[in-house]
Amino acid sequence: MAPVVAALPNAGAVAEIAPVDNLSGTSAVRPAALEMASVVLRHRDGADEVVALDGIDLTVGSGELVVIIGPSGSGKSSLLAVAGALLRPTSGTVRIAGTELGSLRRRQLSALRRDRIGFIFQTGGLFPSLTALEQLLLVAEVAGQKAAPHRDRAEQLLRDVGLGSRLDHRPDQLSGGERQRVAVARALMGRPALLLADEPTASLDRSRSAEMVELLAEQTHRHGAATVLVTHDPDGLSHADRVLTLVDGRLTEA
Amino acid sequence: MLLARRDLIVAKGRFLLMGTVVALIAMLGVLLAGLAVGLVDDGTSGLMRLPVTHLAFQPGSEATFSRSFMPADAVDKLRGDGVEEAAPLGVALFNAKLEQGGSKPKVVDVALFGVERESFISPTPVAGTGLAGSGPAPVVISQQLADEGVKVGDQLVVGLDSTALNVVGISDVGTYGHVPVAYTDLSTWEQVTPGATTPSGRGLVSSVALKLSPDASVKVGDRAGVDVLTKKESFAGSPGYAAETATMSLIRGFLLVISALVVAAFFTVWTVQRRDQIGLLKAMGASDRYVVGDAMLQVLILLVVATVVGTLLGLVLGSIFPAEAPFTLTVSSVVGAGVALVVAGLLGSLVAVRRITSVDPLVALGSSR
Ligand SMILES: Nc1ncnc2c1ncn2[C@@H]1O[C@H](COP(=O)(O)OP(=O)(O)O)[C@@H](O)[C@H]1O
Ligand SMILES: [Mg+2]
Repeated sequence: MAPVVAALPNAGAVAEIAPVDNLSGTSAVRPAALEMASVVLRHRDGADEVVALDGIDLTVGSGELVVIIGPSGSGKSSLLAVAGALLRPTSGTVRIAGTELGSLRRRQLSALRRDRIGFIFQTGGLFPSLTALEQLLLVAEVAGQKAAPHRDRAEQLLRDVGLGSRLDHRPDQLSGGERQRVAVARALMGRPALLLADEPTASLDRSRSAEMVELLAEQTHRHGAATVLVTHDPDGLSHADRVLTLVDGRLTEA
Repeated sequence: MLLARRDLIVAKGRFLLMGTVVALIAMLGVLLAGLAVGLVDDGTSGLMRLPVTHLAFQPGSEATFSRSFMPADAVDKLRGDGVEEAAPLGVALFNAKLEQGGSKPKVVDVALFGVERESFISPTPVAGTGLAGSGPAPVVISQQLADEGVKVGDQLVVGLDSTALNVVGISDVGTYGHVPVAYTDLSTWEQVTPGATTPSGRGLVSSVALKLSPDASVKVGDRAGVDVLTKKESFAGSPGYAAETATMSLIRGFLLVISALVVAAFFTVWTVQRRDQIGLLKAMGASDRYVVGDAMLQVLILLVVATVVGTLLGLVLGSIFPAEAPFTLTVSSVVGAGVALVVAGLLGSLVAVRRITSVDPLVALGSSR
């Protein structure tokens, strides 16, 4: 079994992502999962420029749940896009599990998302045609592996989020809260170093929202992932290890 | 490839519609393949069934028997190294009156082949006798003529002098230029065919049937100043052959282009509708190869299933085609039509590939904007 080799910080430009076999569950030394330094992101909107992120410095360690709260348009999705290797910042540096993203090519960013990052999107981002279990098995398939050997783990993850009896239900057969829990289990399937959640409680009522944050805290601590949850919804903040506020693209301690 | 397979089931209405279109095209493809082979058969089976490798034609006649004349002694000049067999052959098309005694004469078309009674291309009868050893003005008719009601013992009256030919046998000699073939002996053929003798009375034939040894070259034609064509090349002179094959190829080509475009249009729309899903896959780190492979697998499953179903339907339909229609199903033509359809569909679906690879994974976050 190939050991998980995470590129070390300070190792200079890391051009290649070492192939990792996260799904098979090898233990690994994980460096600070997310490090953003002086990150600026400008969106060009026709002739105008919108400064979505204005000097973000953020470090999230493994096993830590950071909740970032900010109003609509404050740059929450932009922050996740940059932290999630979906968008290159205009300036500043981003490291994920020690790998500096600046020098990576498109395909390498894609591989890094696959091997290091789990996403939870606002409306779940589930595939309508797949059952809960298949949503998780798809993660193995995307990583180029056979689904069958990962079945047990997928079932376990779904049981952990309280969906043991919903394995074969498709998204349209699940409630909003259940869909979000499938999304959490799926995000954990690839053993990510970094878990990013974009307003996962937006479509939930207040008590479900608090439960969702609690679930994320629990899973974050259990799996040792670094989790960033962005939201405009103050429910469940007590479960966070750290709460930050985002206003006009600038982060402040709450 | 979970997604590809599950989407096929979940979005079955849409795929069923598309599958039906492909299946109907496949069905049409089978019918056209049968027709194409049938037409070629109908135009040339009389030549295909000759036990020859080559035929000699007058230079410039372009394999057209009615424009090709050569003295009967060309046969002797052609004999020699590399020529295993050589025999004179006359070919002319006639309207023959069928005399069956009593009943009103009926008119039938015949492609009258004149051969020496004992030659290697003289037909082997399946009923009655052959040309060898039969009486004056014998004719051996093809199965098709027998099917039209001509019997051994009937007379076929041909030519300006109303020469009566005696039907002595039936043989599996096929058709030429969509007309049933009948064989007579060479002297009778020369007698009934206008222009088959020179004004000075020398006998002319249309062609020389040749069986060349495998290493022989068509240069043997130089011995008698004639063009030697392979059997297949000589199909081109069959009346209507070139036009028919060109037309059929054109129709079938168009059908394939249409299939490719239909599949292209369907998968382009499908890809646009799947944009969020593709973005999500890419956000999860799926490679272009995975996403494109997933989509192409879906196309492939759809195409193969629909083509197989459509082909089977086409075979059923083909089996109830009227017997007179020039329709012949062969394994290779049917399989070829199916494979061509699948390939055309896959090529069509390639236009959607750009759309798939160009989806930005950011759309996965986009729903929040
Ligand atoms: N692709 C884009 N083009 C132009 N402006 C954008 C784009 N994406 C985001 N913005 C702008 O950047 C700011 C932050 O947006 P976003 O990160 O979506 O905020 P949030 O998720 O907190 O609502 C907003 O003013 C938004 O209009
Ligand atoms: Mg947002």
